[in-house]
Amino acid sequence: MKFRCERDVLVDALATAGRAVGGRGTQPGLSGVRAALTGDRLELTGSDIDLTISVGITVSGETDGVVVIPARLAADIVKALEPGAVSFAAVEDELKISAGRSEFAIRLIAGDDFPRLAELDVEAVTIGADDLAGSLGQVIPAASTDDSRPILTGVLVAAEDGGLRLVATDSYRLAVRDLDNAFVLSDGQSVLIPRKALQELNRILSGGADVMVRLGEREASFEVGDIRVVTRLIEGDFPNYRGLIPASHPNTLTLNREELLDALRRVKLLAREATPVRLDMSADGLELVAVTQDVGTAREQVEATYEGNDLTVAFNPQYLLEGLEVAPGDLVTLSTIDELKPALVRAVGVDDFLYLLMPVRFS
Amino acid sequence: MRLVIAECTVDYEGRLTARLERAVRLIMVKADGCVAIHADGGAYKPLNWMNAPNTLAIEDGQWRVSNPKGEQLTITLHEVLEDTSRDFGQDPGLVKDGVEAHLQELLAEQVTRLGEGYKLVRREFPTDIGPVDLLCRDGDGATVAVEIKRRGEIDGVEQLTRYLDFLNRDPNLAPVRGVFAAQEIKPQAKTLAADRSIEWIELDYDELRGVERPQQKLF
Repeated sequence: MKFRCERDVLVDALATAGRAVGGRGTQPGLSGVRAALTGDRLELTGSDIDLTISVGITVSGETDGVVVIPARLAADIVKALEPGAVSFAAVEDELKISAGRSEFAIRLIAGDDFPRLAELDVEAVTIGADDLAGSLGQVIPAASTDDSRPILTGVLVAAEDGGLRLVATDSYRLAVRDLDNAFVLSDGQSVLIPRKALQELNRILSGGADVMVRLGEREASFEVGDIRVVTRLIEGDFPNYRGLIPASHPNTLTLNREELLDALRRVKLLAREATPVRLDMSADGLELVAVTQDVGTAREQVEATYEGNDLTVAFNPQYLLEGLEVAPGDLVTLSTIDELKPALVRAVGVDDFLYLLMPVRFS
Repeated sequence: MRLVIAECTVDYEGRLTARLERAVRLIMVKADGCVAIHADGGAYKPLNWMNAPNTLAIEDGQWRVSNPKGEQLTITLHEVLEDTSRDFGQDPGLVKDGVEAHLQELLAEQVTRLGEGYKLVRREFPTDIGPVDLLCRDGDGATVAVEIKRRGEIDGVEQLTRYLDFLNRDPNLAPVRGVFAAQEIKPQAKTLAADRSIEWIELDYDELRGVERPQQKLF
């Protein structure tokens, strides 16, 4: 394999494919990126078996071939080179990388155990990248990072009222986002997509291009321009989230989202060692309070409209922040029942997003 | 695992350069690719080592171990005194404390967590190949064997399968169903259990102990 390519193009492609490289110790091939050159088309693929990212770029090809290159080392070398053209030439088990007066020779990785990308034999559906990026960003934070409960590490994607519903929960909070006119699944169908795969997809969605989505029984693939993300789906039943959302909340706090976020970030500085932030809600508005023993106290008044009984409820400040950060619009409501039941964050006048979170007991 | 006792010299090139002069040493090559060179002293720390992933090239009495970070360990064997290899199989992992025994005790006390109407017959119910953690009767009076692990892996499912095989030979107990219970169960273990019609349940240790967390859960 031999080709030349602009350094910056190669840096981006190696970094994108390399994000799927997990470096599983027992399979040396998986610590590398597979580079396949056909004519002027170079395809770089990284994989940890569960997640595979493939990037196609145009290069000046000389000799076709397929090799597996050490992902991190190759990316670091190319990134460190002077701007301009970079040459790659693989000879036997060595890869020569050269640019200007720099020349590197690195050992290739045996590629026998590198996974083959299966083609998904289902029809592709196109979704606007901006719509999907915004929606994913709203639910991904609520998905669990705890691998001991794999089902909760996924985002449920379900057909709902002619559109698509995205749902994520880590059992402490729940985020639900509806996407209209996204007919990816047939009625009643749903899949569970790993959070990690959607995070990587979200990262490459910023270009505004369309996304071609294929949802199979065991795998899903997303194509954005020359980048393809393929992920294994999570098997199992997602919790019955509908039953968790209270039908009504007697207390509603309405306030400016940015003002609440700013105040919460300040007060959170004194919410250490898993200390919650208390929200004292009354007709006078909202007071945020954080007290960490032996450290100190923070209080801040926030202008708000409150309807309901005077109530003090406490939350993990990080969970509340993450919900407010992804809520759309300027005005938000925080609806509560009492200090122990789930509270609901919504944007005023927006029905397609909700964020439910459980309070923290406090004394 | 490959163990080689040899008179050797070792050269390391990487973050720094280091050399071990000619002497008898133990060279360990583990299944995941880790290579470690030990002297006849010290509790655990090798004189030199290379973590996986590695490439090991053996040529003319010289081992070259290189890794993707660009480090290289060159072991020159002057005289090989012992050379042996053995497949260790899957390691059950380190049991750090008595959680597994405590889980058994707690689940025996709260056996209805396995299902409505469950009753405990006996803890450590003996079989010809060892005791099964819990033997229970379900709400319909059918026999259920429960194997409890801290981390539920394929080995645990295999173990329960063997117990079920023996228990089902006893006409007083048969038919005996199996339940695999653990704090955390690996997806492969769940798949294997389901394939063998063995139920599985993930146990919340804190919940079983009655520990109340301030952060409440939705479910």
